[in-house]
Amino acid sequence: MDVATPFIEVANAIVEAGGKDLNLCYQCATCTGSCPWGYVEPLNIRQLIHLAQLGLEGYESEDLWKCTTCGTCKTRCPRGVGIIDLVRSIRMMIGETGLIPLTLRSALGSVRGDGNPWNGSRVERNRWAGPLQVPIFDKARTEYLLYGCCMASYDVRSRKIVEAAVRVLRAAGVTFGVMGQGEECCAESVRKIGEESLFERVAGSNIELFKAQGVEKIIVLSPHCYDAFKNDYPALGGKFQVVHIVEKIASLLLLDKLRLERPVKAKVTYHDPCYLGRHNNLFDPPRMILSKIPGLEFEEMYRARELSLCCGGGGGRMWMETKFGQRFSDLRIPEALAVGANVLATSCPYCVNMLQDSRLNLNKEEAIEVKDLTELVAESLV
Amino acid sequence: MSFEPRIVGILCNWCSYTGADLAGTSRMKYAPNVRVVRVMCSGRMDPTLVLKAFQEGADGVLLAGCHIGDCHYISGNLKTLRRIPLLKRVLVELGIEPERLRLEWVSASEGARYQGVVNEFVEQIRSLGPLDLEARRLPATASAS
Amino acid sequence: MASKIGVYVCHCGMNIAGTVDVPAVIEAAKAMPRVALSKEYKFACSDPGQEMIKQDIKAHGLDAIVVAACSPLMHEKTFRRAVEAAGLNPFLLSIANIREQGSWVTEDPAKATEKAKAIVAGAVFRAARQEPLEMRSVEIHRAALVVGGGIAGIQAALDLADSGIPTTLVERQPSIGGYMAMFDKTFPTLDCSACILTPKMTAVGQHENIKLMAYSEVESVSGFVGNFQVRIRRKAAYVDHTKCNGCGMCMEKCPYKAPSEFDQGLSQRRAIYVPFAQAVPNKPVIDPATCVRFKGKKCKTCIKFCEPGAIDFEQKDSVEEVTVGSIVVATGFQPMDAKKIPQLAYGRHPEVYTALEFERLNNAAGPTQGKILTKDGRVPQSVAILNCTGSRDTNYHEYCSRVCCMYALKYAHLIKEKLHEATVFDFYIDMRCFGKGYEEFYRRLQDEGVRFIRGKAAQVFGGKEYKAIANAAGFIDGLEDHQLVVQAEDSLLGKLIRVPVDMVVLTPAVEARADADEVGRKFLVSRGADGFFLEQHPKLAPVSTTNDGVYIAGACQGPKDIPDSVAQGSAAAGKALGLIARREVEVEGTTASVVDELCSGCKCCLTLCAYNAISFDADRHRSSINEVLCKGCGTCVASCPSSAIKAKHFTDEQIFAEIEGLMSM
Repeated sequence: MDVATPFIEVANAIVEAGGKDLNLCYQCATCTGSCPWGYVEPLNIRQLIHLAQLGLEGYESEDLWKCTTCGTCKTRCPRGVGIIDLVRSIRMMIGETGLIPLTLRSALGSVRGDGNPWNGSRVERNRWAGPLQVPIFDKARTEYLLYGCCMASYDVRSRKIVEAAVRVLRAAGVTFGVMGQGEECCAESVRKIGEESLFERVAGSNIELFKAQGVEKIIVLSPHCYDAFKNDYPALGGKFQVVHIVEKIASLLLLDKLRLERPVKAKVTYHDPCYLGRHNNLFDPPRMILSKIPGLEFEEMYRARELSLCCGGGGGRMWMETKFGQRFSDLRIPEALAVGANVLATSCPYCVNMLQDSRLNLNKEEAIEVKDLTELVAESLV
Repeated sequence: MSFEPRIVGILCNWCSYTGADLAGTSRMKYAPNVRVVRVMCSGRMDPTLVLKAFQEGADGVLLAGCHIGDCHYISGNLKTLRRIPLLKRVLVELGIEPERLRLEWVSASEGARYQGVVNEFVEQIRSLGPLDLEARRLPATASAS
Repeated sequence: MASKIGVYVCHCGMNIAGTVDVPAVIEAAKAMPRVALSKEYKFACSDPGQEMIKQDIKAHGLDAIVVAACSPLMHEKTFRRAVEAAGLNPFLLSIANIREQGSWVTEDPAKATEKAKAIVAGAVFRAARQEPLEMRSVEIHRAALVVGGGIAGIQAALDLADSGIPTTLVERQPSIGGYMAMFDKTFPTLDCSACILTPKMTAVGQHENIKLMAYSEVESVSGFVGNFQVRIRRKAAYVDHTKCNGCGMCMEKCPYKAPSEFDQGLSQRRAIYVPFAQAVPNKPVIDPATCVRFKGKKCKTCIKFCEPGAIDFEQKDSVEEVTVGSIVVATGFQPMDAKKIPQLAYGRHPEVYTALEFERLNNAAGPTQGKILTKDGRVPQSVAILNCTGSRDTNYHEYCSRVCCMYALKYAHLIKEKLHEATVFDFYIDMRCFGKGYEEFYRRLQDEGVRFIRGKAAQVFGGKEYKAIANAAGFIDGLEDHQLVVQAEDSLLGKLIRVPVDMVVLTPAVEARADADEVGRKFLVSRGADGFFLEQHPKLAPVSTTNDGVYIAGACQGPKDIPDSVAQGSAAAGKALGLIARREVEVEGTTASVVDELCSGCKCCLTLCAYNAISFDADRHRSSINEVLCKGCGTCVASCPSSAIKAKHFTDEQIFAEIEGLMSM
């Protein structure tokens, strides 16, 4: 057995870096027992917290970068510890010593240089808008800024989601435009990786740009952008009305501005994205939308709503290699098949990507499709 | 220096004063601007007490009693409720914004509500600015004469 | 008017002095008009503190006293006694509340000090104008009311009645007994719950001094200490209990059924029913939600079989009014709804039970005659008990529910006793075994072979759910569909563990009843942040409330086990008895009176008084107030157009002065 001596200065530094709840943890172990890593290779988040409480070594291990910030532990923590803030502040401290995993460094570098984490060129940003004839945001003519997420600009699969969103919004008579090349990544993941100063710089530049253009309302496609704009930007002076596309569609349906009349013959189950569900409590609108699509049969998975299983793409994990056998999304596909679904719907470009990969890796192309909810809505338009 | 409102609170003994005490025993923090007078019932809240408070330099007056139906003296709070509209009209005549007088119901178990009411009212008075009754009344007197 | 005022500023240890700059307040007070001396003291309410005030009054000839300390609701009486002992009229004291409404609620010390100065000035200005008053004696009605017929209320009622006090016991359910009547055995002694409770229930039913009003609710309370008027609504039972001989034929024959509340829905009762066999009173009631006659059907079964002809569908709710000197509120708790925690699968999987369900399952008089069986009739081979279901959890209840660790041990014992082969797992965060014989009981259960797992159960899976997950993740399962899996980290091992079991028992938090707010308002008892009723002092006045004459007992004040509930029941009865034994109580003479020469005879006041205390003398053309009837609310004072009514101790001059004082700083 090892002998350890507490190093309280380190613990205090973590508290100062934003992990203000560190000392509240009473080691009940709910976090470890709730963590999705438990299904593949358990991550002992409780022990990590206790090590940090005593400033002992060990919390800086690889485990630290495993957390997907899914929020399962945080929402269940009986002491209300902001475990994600804690992980973030520990990562921040480790980041200062240069111990960030290599693949993450590359993504961060791309954000720093090109305003997106995908090593894409700035000129590519929002280029998808051209062929679709989506105008540049102009506060006199367009009510909403449509913020497509870096995924829409740099990922082929996600482009289909933004195309669907454009169709749906047009059908309902919503006016919207895009920001063009000046906008940058929302930087939600940058913050979770622990690069606070880069986050503040990128977010600050977005806020300045949006304000200069007179943006008041923003529609986002990604729950990650949603979370950043809604929960992180206000502290930096960016107070916008942010709606996620599912919220918007749900309200358009309620106001009878959108009619879904074309039947969609599919048996659908729904995967709650962490940042839409657990982080922002949007559990009901997606289900309401699905109930309005004619012909569609809906079946709930056991791990639904608060119990939803993370796809594995949050907290910077999108840019890290996850070994085969450790991918949460590989567990999700069979779960969807077990309830007899032939479409696994979700409403997050990260989730779509991760689940899509698993569908292919598991050779389930025939059995099930992965779709964004917006795409299903677009299919149901006449 | 920024404006710190001075507010007189008149609280009934059974509900609101006890509720305010509960905020204390629960260590809830709130704005220190309200100075409290305890009366047995909100029914005792005579309009002259309110006018006296404004005369003595209060920027706002908060009256608080038991919720309707819960009055310790059966119906004292109803009598007060009825006095307020007329009193507000008198305030207008005197050049005092009627928003400077507020009537709230706070039960003995609503420490958090008392905290909220005080904080909100202090902010409201802060945005209305100082009453400065003397300065206001000079022009009124001039035009009357 | 007083001209030599003594001001005393209390530190209350650090409670005041930690935030308020006491010396600065002392200095400010010295400069206030008519202040002769101004002093500070660590604990003004202590004997030496009071002694100092008494000495000063005599030595310096002080004619009014201001004590700046805690709320007047806390210690006004203490200081009045001190002032009186020094020969000064107690109404020449004024309290400045600089703790509850000062130091405790203000973050910034400088602002807290400024506020304290203003509050003291208010009290000083007021004190100068206070007048001597005499206390009034009011006779205490020699009767008591106990609300709630659980074990705490039963104990309180028996103690009062045994002392010869006519006592009314009101219970909302058709029978007294409360939760204790549902239990099989009690920890740590393993006494049979019914065996120790039933005699007490019977004693209540037969006691000459107890008027038992079951199936009844308190509708309203008015009056004051010594003289409370309480309206009690007796719900229509549709059975004339004076005729009913309790034969039970009606219940046997009634064709309509509903889930039994007493058995937690694990069995059925009839539309006409008594909740359980030992019920007191043992007379049935008809549940109008189940009986088809209330839905327009013509069923007459119960009428036909009732020999004494006690069935009465014309019966209506009736309201009775009783006058009592003191009241004991013992309205109990409710268990938290375990469905609020989705990961624990309650309501989704049939073999996840709440504690009360398990009590019934395990009770010899319960739905399985005490056999521990799954819903499909199997004998469980393994049972997991999950501690802290919604307790010690800021998402639900931050407090510890105090009883769950112990009854979890009790369950473990009962399972081991009945099913020798079964394995019992107890998932805990900390074992809290603080009572007499409790730690010994824990040791005994370890010896009996219960497996303790140190880690809060994070997730419960149904067998089918788990298999779907396990197949995908490549776990070995070998699990039956009807089984469950409990997942937790054993924090002592630092390992994630999954335990397959046949049954899961949750321990839902003890919480304040859903209607506690309404009940609290009825009895003017305040509630703490946790929702439970608030005692006057957490240590020194645990069963008293800020409403004189109203006491609280049992789990309505906070989670409590049986011994503590019984102790509080007795304590509350003792306090109520002590009050009644005084025969009369002094109440403040703070009534209103008409100043004859100012009254114009306009009669405005006559209709305002809720107590009909004001009468009009037509010959003299003046109003006058009967001070025996007057409760001192001051409503008439505020409404008199001639300012002819004076509220003693709350005169216009006194309040004006207080406002001047508050605004002078």
